[in-house]
Amino acid sequence: MYQDFKVQRWSVWPPQNDQKTDPLVQDELLSSIPKMLKRRLSPLARTVFCAINLCIDKNTNIPTIFSSTHGELAKSFKMMEMIEGGEEISPTAFSLSVHNSIAGLFSMAYKNKLQSTVIAPGEEGIAAAFIEATGLFDEGYSEVLIVLYDDPLVSFYPEEPYKLSTNESCVVALSLSNVGLGIPLRFSIQEQKGDDGEQPLQVPLLIQFLSENKENLIIHTPRHSWCWERR
Amino acid sequence: MENELKQLIISSLDLEDLNVEDIDSQEALFNEGLGLDSIDALELGLAIRKKYDVRIDAEKDDVVKIFASVSSLAVFIESEQAKKS
Repeated sequence: MYQDFKVQRWSVWPPQNDQKTDPLVQDELLSSIPKMLKRRLSPLARTVFCAINLCIDKNTNIPTIFSSTHGELAKSFKMMEMIEGGEEISPTAFSLSVHNSIAGLFSMAYKNKLQSTVIAPGEEGIAAAFIEATGLFDEGYSEVLIVLYDDPLVSFYPEEPYKLSTNESCVVALSLSNVGLGIPLRFSIQEQKGDDGEQPLQVPLLIQFLSENKENLIIHTPRHSWCWERR
Repeated sequence: MENELKQLIISSLDLEDLNVEDIDSQEALFNEGLGLDSIDALELGLAIRKKYDVRIDAEKDDVVKIFASVSSLAVFIESEQAKKS
Protein backbone atom coordinates (compact mmCIF):
# COMPACT_ATOMS: atom_id res chain seq x y z
CA MET A 1 0.00 0.00 0.00
CA TYR A 2 1.28 3.45 -0.81
CA GLN A 3 -0.01 6.95 -1.44
CA ASP A 4 1.69 9.56 -3.59
CA PHE A 5 1.17 13.25 -2.90
CA LYS A 6 2.96 16.57 -2.87
CA VAL A 7 3.77 18.83 0.05
CA GLN A 8 2.77 22.22 -1.34
CA ARG A 9 3.80 24.18 1.73
CA TRP A 10 4.77 23.33 5.24
CA SER A 11 5.51 25.36 8.35
CA VAL A 12 6.70 24.98 11.93
CA TRP A 13 5.88 27.08 14.96
CA PRO A 14 7.71 28.11 17.04
CA PRO A 15 10.68 28.49 14.64
CA GLN A 16 13.25 25.74 15.04
CA ASN A 17 16.31 27.72 15.98
CA ASP A 18 17.93 28.80 19.20
CA GLN A 19 16.51 32.30 19.13
CA LYS A 20 13.58 33.02 21.40
CA THR A 21 10.31 33.60 19.57
CA ASP A 22 9.54 37.28 19.36
CA PRO A 23 6.07 37.78 20.90
CA LEU A 24 5.46 40.62 18.45
CA VAL A 25 5.87 38.22 15.51
CA GLN A 26 3.35 35.87 17.09
CA ASP A 27 0.91 38.76 17.68
CA GLU A 28 1.26 39.77 14.04
CA LEU A 29 0.50 36.21 12.88
CA LEU A 30 -2.67 36.24 15.00
CA SER A 31 -3.71 39.78 14.10
CA SER A 32 -6.49 38.82 11.69
CA ILE A 33 -8.36 36.69 14.23
CA PRO A 34 -11.41 38.49 15.64
CA LYS A 35 -10.93 39.59 19.28
CA MET A 36 -13.94 37.69 20.56
CA LEU A 37 -12.39 34.47 19.21
CA LYS A 38 -8.83 35.33 20.15
CA ARG A 39 -9.69 35.51 23.86
CA ARG A 40 -10.53 31.79 23.65
CA LEU A 41 -7.12 30.75 22.29
CA SER A 42 -4.91 28.87 24.74
CA PRO A 43 -1.13 29.16 24.32
CA LEU A 44 -1.25 25.86 22.42
CA ALA A 45 -4.07 27.09 20.17
CA ARG A 46 -2.05 30.26 19.46
CA THR A 47 0.92 28.13 18.43
CA VAL A 48 -1.35 26.06 16.16
CA PHE A 49 -2.83 29.18 14.56
CA CYS A 50 0.64 30.64 13.87
CA ALA A 51 1.75 27.48 12.07
CA ILE A 52 -1.49 27.36 10.05
CA ASN A 53 -1.17 31.04 9.16
CA LEU A 54 2.29 30.38 7.71
CA CYS A 55 1.05 27.38 5.73
CA ILE A 56 -2.22 28.43 4.08
CA ASP A 57 -3.71 31.68 2.88
CA LYS A 58 -6.46 33.31 4.89
CA ASN A 59 -9.94 32.11 3.90
CA THR A 60 -8.62 28.99 2.18
CA ASN A 61 -11.34 26.36 2.25
CA ILE A 62 -9.57 23.06 2.82
CA PRO A 63 -10.41 19.75 4.54
CA THR A 64 -8.25 19.59 7.63
CA ILE A 65 -6.80 16.84 9.78
CA PHE A 66 -5.61 17.77 13.25
CA SER A 67 -3.49 15.25 15.09
CA SER A 68 -2.41 15.57 18.70
CA THR A 69 -1.36 12.95 21.22
CA HIS A 70 -2.26 14.97 24.29
CA GLY A 71 -4.47 17.82 23.02
CA GLU A 72 -5.35 20.27 25.82
CA LEU A 73 -4.57 17.72 28.53
CA ALA A 74 -3.06 20.38 30.84
CA LYS A 75 -6.45 22.11 30.86
CA SER A 76 -8.33 18.89 31.65
CA PHE A 77 -5.81 18.08 34.36
CA LYS A 78 -6.29 21.48 36.00
CA MET A 79 -10.06 20.96 35.99
CA MET A 80 -9.70 17.55 37.62
CA GLU A 81 -7.64 19.19 40.36
CA MET A 82 -10.41 21.79 40.79
CA ILE A 83 -13.07 19.08 41.07
CA GLU A 84 -10.89 17.31 43.63
CA GLY A 85 -10.71 20.57 45.59
CA GLY A 86 -14.52 20.92 45.51
CA GLU A 87 -14.46 23.92 43.16
CA GLU A 88 -16.89 24.50 40.31
CA ILE A 89 -15.21 24.31 36.92
CA SER A 90 -15.46 26.99 34.30
CA PRO A 91 -17.83 26.14 31.41
CA THR A 92 -15.47 27.97 29.04
CA ALA A 93 -12.45 26.00 30.24
CA PHE A 94 -14.43 22.77 29.87
CA SER A 95 -15.60 23.57 26.36
CA LEU A 96 -12.03 24.42 25.31
CA SER A 97 -10.51 21.28 26.82
CA VAL A 98 -12.10 18.79 24.43
CA HIS A 99 -9.92 17.25 21.74
CA ASN A 100 -11.62 19.07 18.86
CA SER A 101 -11.68 22.53 20.48
CA ILE A 102 -8.78 23.94 18.42
CA ALA A 103 -10.31 22.50 15.23
CA GLY A 104 -13.57 24.27 16.08
CA LEU A 105 -11.85 27.59 16.70
CA PHE A 106 -9.94 27.17 13.44
CA SER A 107 -13.12 26.57 11.43
CA MET A 108 -14.66 29.73 12.90
CA ALA A 109 -11.58 31.93 12.49
CA TYR A 110 -10.91 30.78 8.92
CA LYS A 111 -14.60 30.37 8.03
CA ASN A 112 -13.57 26.93 6.84
CA LYS A 113 -16.69 24.99 5.95
CA LEU A 114 -15.01 21.78 4.76
CA GLN A 115 -14.69 18.82 7.06
CA SER A 116 -12.15 18.64 9.82
CA THR A 117 -11.03 15.51 11.62
CA VAL A 118 -9.20 15.40 14.94
CA ILE A 119 -7.06 12.41 15.77
CA ALA A 120 -5.37 11.25 18.98
CA PRO A 121 -3.00 8.92 17.16
CA GLY A 122 -1.42 6.72 19.86
CA GLU A 123 1.56 4.59 18.87
CA GLU A 124 1.07 5.11 15.11
CA GLY A 125 1.99 8.76 15.62
CA ILE A 126 2.04 11.13 12.64
CA ALA A 127 1.19 8.34 10.17
CA ALA A 128 -2.44 8.35 11.33
CA ALA A 129 -2.94 11.83 9.86
CA PHE A 130 -1.42 10.76 6.54
CA ILE A 131 -3.69 7.69 6.44
CA GLU A 132 -6.66 10.00 6.97
CA ALA A 133 -5.34 12.23 4.17
CA THR A 134 -5.16 9.16 1.89
CA GLY A 135 -8.86 8.61 2.61
CA LEU A 136 -9.70 12.22 1.76
CA PHE A 137 -7.77 12.04 -1.53
CA ASP A 138 -9.69 8.85 -2.26
CA GLU A 139 -12.95 10.69 -1.64
CA GLY A 140 -12.01 13.17 -4.34
CA TYR A 141 -10.36 16.07 -2.48
CA SER A 142 -7.22 17.35 -4.19
CA GLU A 143 -5.86 19.32 -1.20
CA VAL A 144 -5.68 18.46 2.48
CA LEU A 145 -4.22 20.37 5.44
CA ILE A 146 -2.53 18.34 8.18
CA VAL A 147 -1.77 19.98 11.52
CA LEU A 148 0.37 18.06 14.02
CA TYR A 149 0.51 19.68 17.46
CA ASP A 150 1.44 18.91 21.04
CA ASP A 151 2.35 20.55 24.30
CA PRO A 152 4.75 18.91 26.76
CA LEU A 153 2.93 16.37 28.91
CA VAL A 154 1.81 17.52 32.38
CA SER A 155 4.56 16.57 34.84
CA PHE A 156 2.11 14.46 36.89
CA TYR A 157 2.44 11.67 34.30
CA PRO A 158 5.57 9.46 34.38
CA GLU A 159 8.13 10.04 31.60
CA GLU A 160 9.93 6.69 31.63
CA PRO A 161 9.69 4.15 30.13
CA TYR A 162 7.13 5.79 27.83
CA LYS A 163 8.01 7.81 24.75
CA LEU A 164 5.11 10.22 24.84
CA SER A 165 6.43 13.74 25.10
CA THR A 166 9.22 16.23 24.56
CA ASN A 167 9.99 19.35 26.58
CA GLU A 168 8.82 21.81 23.92
CA SER A 169 5.50 22.69 22.33
CA CYS A 170 5.71 22.16 18.60
CA VAL A 171 3.31 22.49 15.68
CA VAL A 172 3.85 21.44 12.08
CA ALA A 173 1.31 22.29 9.38
CA LEU A 174 1.49 20.68 5.93
CA SER A 175 -0.62 21.48 2.94
CA LEU A 176 -0.78 18.32 0.80
CA SER A 177 -2.02 17.96 -2.72
CA ASN A 178 -2.30 15.11 -5.21
CA VAL A 179 -1.90 17.49 -8.16
CA GLY A 180 0.27 20.52 -8.90
CA LEU A 181 3.62 21.55 -7.50
CA GLY A 182 5.39 20.65 -4.27
CA ILE A 183 7.78 18.15 -2.72
CA PRO A 184 6.72 14.80 -4.25
CA LEU A 185 6.49 12.10 -1.59
CA ARG A 186 5.43 8.47 -1.43
CA PHE A 187 3.92 7.33 1.88
CA SER A 188 3.99 3.58 2.54
CA ILE A 189 3.92 0.91 5.22
CA GLN A 190 6.83 -1.45 5.91
CA GLU A 191 7.17 -4.58 8.02
CA GLN A 192 10.13 -3.65 10.21
CA LYS A 193 9.15 -3.04 13.85
CA GLY A 194 10.67 -0.73 16.44
CA ASP A 195 9.72 2.11 18.74
CA ASP A 196 10.52 5.69 17.79
CA GLY A 197 7.98 7.00 20.29
CA GLU A 198 4.64 8.69 19.76
CA GLN A 199 3.83 11.81 17.74
CA PRO A 200 5.68 14.40 19.90
CA LEU A 201 8.94 12.50 19.32
CA GLN A 202 8.19 11.85 15.65
CA VAL A 203 7.48 15.46 14.69
CA PRO A 204 11.15 16.58 15.05
CA LEU A 205 12.13 13.69 12.72
CA LEU A 206 9.61 14.92 10.15
CA ILE A 207 10.94 18.49 10.40
CA GLN A 208 14.48 17.21 9.89
CA PHE A 209 13.40 15.13 6.89
CA LEU A 210 11.64 18.06 5.20
CA SER A 211 14.21 20.74 5.99
CA GLU A 212 17.40 18.78 5.33
CA ASN A 213 16.42 17.35 1.97
CA LYS A 214 16.84 13.76 3.16
CA GLU A 215 15.89 10.93 0.83
CA ASN A 216 13.49 9.21 3.17
CA LEU A 217 12.02 9.16 6.65
CA ILE A 218 11.25 5.83 8.29
CA ILE A 219 9.38 5.84 11.58
CA HIS A 220 9.19 2.58 13.52
CA THR A 221 6.24 1.66 15.69
CA PRO A 222 5.76 -1.53 17.76
CA ARG A 223 3.70 -3.06 14.93
CA HIS A 224 5.33 -1.84 11.69
CA SER A 225 7.11 1.14 10.12
CA TRP A 226 5.90 4.09 8.07
CA CYS A 227 8.00 5.47 5.25
CA TRP A 228 7.97 8.87 3.52
CA GLU A 229 10.19 8.82 0.48
CA ARG A 230 11.08 11.58 -1.97
CA ARG A 231 10.15 10.61 -5.51
CA MET B 1 -24.30 47.41 40.90
CA GLU B 2 -24.18 48.00 37.13
CA ASN B 3 -20.50 49.00 37.13
CA GLU B 4 -19.68 46.09 39.40
CA LEU B 5 -21.43 43.76 36.95
CA LYS B 6 -19.56 45.26 34.00
CA GLN B 7 -16.28 44.60 35.81
CA LEU B 8 -17.40 41.02 36.46
CA ILE B 9 -18.25 40.57 32.77
CA ILE B 10 -14.82 41.86 31.75
CA SER B 11 -12.87 39.72 34.20
CA SER B 12 -14.86 36.49 33.96
CA LEU B 13 -15.15 36.50 30.16
CA ASP B 14 -11.55 37.46 29.28
CA LEU B 15 -12.53 40.84 27.86
CA GLU B 16 -9.55 42.65 29.40
CA ASP B 17 -9.18 45.00 26.43
CA LEU B 18 -12.55 46.55 27.34
CA ASN B 19 -13.18 49.14 30.08
CA VAL B 20 -16.29 49.54 32.20
CA GLU B 21 -17.10 52.70 30.18
CA ASP B 22 -17.11 50.68 26.93
CA ILE B 23 -20.16 48.69 28.03
CA ASP B 24 -23.53 50.43 27.78
CA SER B 25 -25.93 49.26 30.51
CA GLN B 26 -28.82 49.13 28.04
CA GLU B 27 -26.89 47.50 25.19
CA ALA B 28 -27.62 43.87 24.22
CA LEU B 29 -25.06 41.53 25.80
CA PHE B 30 -25.47 38.76 23.25
CA ASN B 31 -25.19 38.56 19.47
CA GLU B 32 -25.25 42.00 17.86
CA GLY B 33 -24.51 44.02 21.02
CA LEU B 34 -21.41 43.14 23.03
CA GLY B 35 -21.21 39.92 20.99
CA LEU B 36 -21.25 37.34 23.78
CA ASP B 37 -22.26 33.73 23.05
CA SER B 38 -23.87 30.79 24.84
CA ILE B 39 -20.63 29.71 26.55
CA ASP B 40 -20.31 33.24 27.93
CA ALA B 41 -23.86 32.95 29.33
CA LEU B 42 -22.88 29.82 31.25
CA GLU B 43 -19.64 31.42 32.44
CA LEU B 44 -21.39 34.60 33.52
CA GLY B 45 -24.08 32.57 35.31
CA LEU B 46 -21.32 30.82 37.30
CA ALA B 47 -19.56 34.12 38.10
CA ILE B 48 -22.84 35.66 39.33
CA ARG B 49 -23.56 32.62 41.50
CA LYS B 50 -20.09 32.84 43.05
CA LYS B 51 -20.15 36.59 43.63
CA TYR B 52 -23.78 37.27 44.57
CA ASP B 53 -25.00 33.81 45.59
CA VAL B 54 -27.82 34.24 43.08
CA ARG B 55 -28.71 31.29 40.90
CA ILE B 56 -30.20 31.80 37.45
CA ASP B 57 -32.34 28.75 36.74
CA ALA B 58 -32.84 28.05 33.03
CA GLU B 59 -35.96 25.96 33.83
CA LYS B 60 -37.67 28.58 35.97
CA ASP B 61 -36.37 32.02 35.04
CA ASP B 62 -36.76 33.97 31.81
CA VAL B 63 -33.09 33.67 30.88
CA VAL B 64 -33.39 35.67 27.65
CA LYS B 65 -34.90 38.62 29.52
CA ILE B 66 -32.44 38.45 32.45
CA PHE B 67 -29.38 38.28 30.21
CA ALA B 68 -30.66 40.96 27.81
CA SER B 69 -28.44 43.73 29.19
CA VAL B 70 -26.34 44.77 32.19
CA SER B 71 -29.34 46.75 33.40
CA SER B 72 -31.74 43.77 33.31
CA LEU B 73 -29.15 41.53 35.00
CA ALA B 74 -28.71 44.09 37.79
CA VAL B 75 -32.50 44.31 38.33
CA PHE B 76 -32.75 40.52 38.56
CA ILE B 77 -29.83 40.14 41.00
CA GLU B 78 -31.10 42.94 43.23
CA SER B 79 -34.62 41.47 43.33
CA GLU B 80 -33.27 38.00 44.19
CA GLN B 81 -31.10 39.48 46.94
CA ALA B 82 -34.10 41.43 48.30
CA LYS B 83 -36.10 38.15 48.50
CA LYS B 84 -33.36 36.63 50.66
CA SER B 85 -32.96 39.49 53.11
